[in-house]
Amino acid sequence: MAGLTIACVDGDPEARRKTQDALVDGGHDVVSFGTVAEAADLVGTGDVDCVVTEYSLPDGTGLDLTSRIRKHSPDTPCVLFTDASPDRIDSTRHENVVVEYLPRDTPDAHDSLSRLVENVVAQRTQVGYPLPPEEDERLAALAQYDQPGLDTAEAFDRLTALAQHRFGVDVAFVGLVDAHEERFLACAGEDWESLSREDSMCTHTILEDDVLVVEDVDADPRFADNDRLDELDIVAYAGVPLRTRRGATIGAFCLTHSEPRSFSEAELTDLRRFADEAMEQLELRRRLAEGDDGETWSAQSPEADPELAVETANESQDDSGGETS
Amino acid sequence: MSIQRSGYSFDGLPLEEVPNGTNLLVTGPALGGIRTLLLRMLLRGNRREGTLFITADTDGPTTLSDYAAVGGDHDPMRVGVVDCTETGVNDADRNVHAVGSPNDLTGVGIEFSSLYESLYANGAERVRTGVYTLAPFVVYSSVKPVYRFLHTLTGRIRTADGLGVCAVDPDAVDTETLTSIAQAFDGRVVLRSENGRMAIRVEGLADQPDGWQRVEF
Repeated sequence: MAGLTIACVDGDPEARRKTQDALVDGGHDVVSFGTVAEAADLVGTGDVDCVVTEYSLPDGTGLDLTSRIRKHSPDTPCVLFTDASPDRIDSTRHENVVVEYLPRDTPDAHDSLSRLVENVVAQRTQVGYPLPPEEDERLAALAQYDQPGLDTAEAFDRLTALAQHRFGVDVAFVGLVDAHEERFLACAGEDWESLSREDSMCTHTILEDDVLVVEDVDADPRFADNDRLDELDIVAYAGVPLRTRRGATIGAFCLTHSEPRSFSEAELTDLRRFADEAMEQLELRRRLAEGDDGETWSAQSPEADPELAVETANESQDDSGGETS
Repeated sequence: MSIQRSGYSFDGLPLEEVPNGTNLLVTGPALGGIRTLLLRMLLRGNRREGTLFITADTDGPTTLSDYAAVGGDHDPMRVGVVDCTETGVNDADRNVHAVGSPNDLTGVGIEFSSLYESLYANGAERVRTGVYTLAPFVVYSSVKPVYRFLHTLTGRIRTADGLGVCAVDPDAVDTETLTSIAQAFDGRVVLRSENGRMAIRVEGLADQPDGWQRVEF
């Protein structure tokens, strides 16, 4: 996995240059910083794939830096590449940030560093939420439905407004779950635009076969300590995954409410219908955008169409036959 | 065949070999044998393997004594412990590294990475890692760092062609959390104990025995 953008943070210019050279030799772009403050400003923008930092820095520690990164770009992996042994690292103020650690005196340390960085990025090992088993394929499928100009806003505004009215809830929304955040295509009752994936309940919905219902987030340990849900006044939630024709889950159709509430079977049946309708809208727009009448779509090769590749892969694992178009 | 090409085998247990890089969740009642099962699964297949324990329910010296009791040898160059109990102390002679609390997931991760690297530096060709148990980490921390910790742990084991075995008593954590953390593992070994008779069943892994298999410790 060459071509990553890596932030290299070290107060010692010579050590920093050696680390930077090793990462550049590995085929990566490197931006260098000497302090926590300098690095935190850029890394917080989310434009960096990974941070490699010395533990001891002129204005703090690598864990201070990681703590700041977790607030603004929580998925960004951080690696302590350091002379400091574990017993010299004070993690007591940063018990929850979780980093990778590689001592500089490791044999072939710079080669090991390149491999470690590539692995933590490819495997998303520092994300604070569960990952679907085929995440790369899921994201490839999502890209087919998440393109500029698909113009779903008006249709989904109508659909979510109808849902909000039908269920009598505070908010109804359609969201797409991408690599690092959920983005709302329409949101009746609020003006939410995006939510980090570790704070989004839909992160868990896309792992479900059918529906995720949480009648009271305070009673569910997966969400009880999620401060962002408090800020958004989300207490009850019901979400149905948006699943492509062959099984890739790209987002969810959801309801939220500011009071604990249950959802009847009849309501969940209707919520599934809303989700089906939203997915149908996305499917139609995807085909229109690609000038695809459905017949040519079925003739495309997996190589030309990542979504089809996902579908083909699913078919090969499951001989149930699958759909044909 | 070189050692790296073969998977991990489990002498004396009704488990077939698992591929390199496999992470397993072992579930069962804490008093019903999951500790012994985990220790048995962590027995080194040969002297070139390393074994690393992350313990939160029992301290490092007790873990090593119990490991010896099931047949494990304690070569401190190849076997070590990250002791996460509140009373843990460093013991360089026995390769025990204390973190001080299971709350400190950052500290646990750093000690784990450091010990993993040192076992390789000491000549281990691959490493079996055991966590006993996940419950204190899950119960005393918020969920986001727990996911980070588990992804980091299982990711390093996967890329290093290691073996990961993490034990948890389902009664010690809530069902929703257990279901979601199980996503980080390749498969599950379920232990049941009824009237003193124990059996295990493997879920989610290919080429394993079907149904319940009797085990005796």
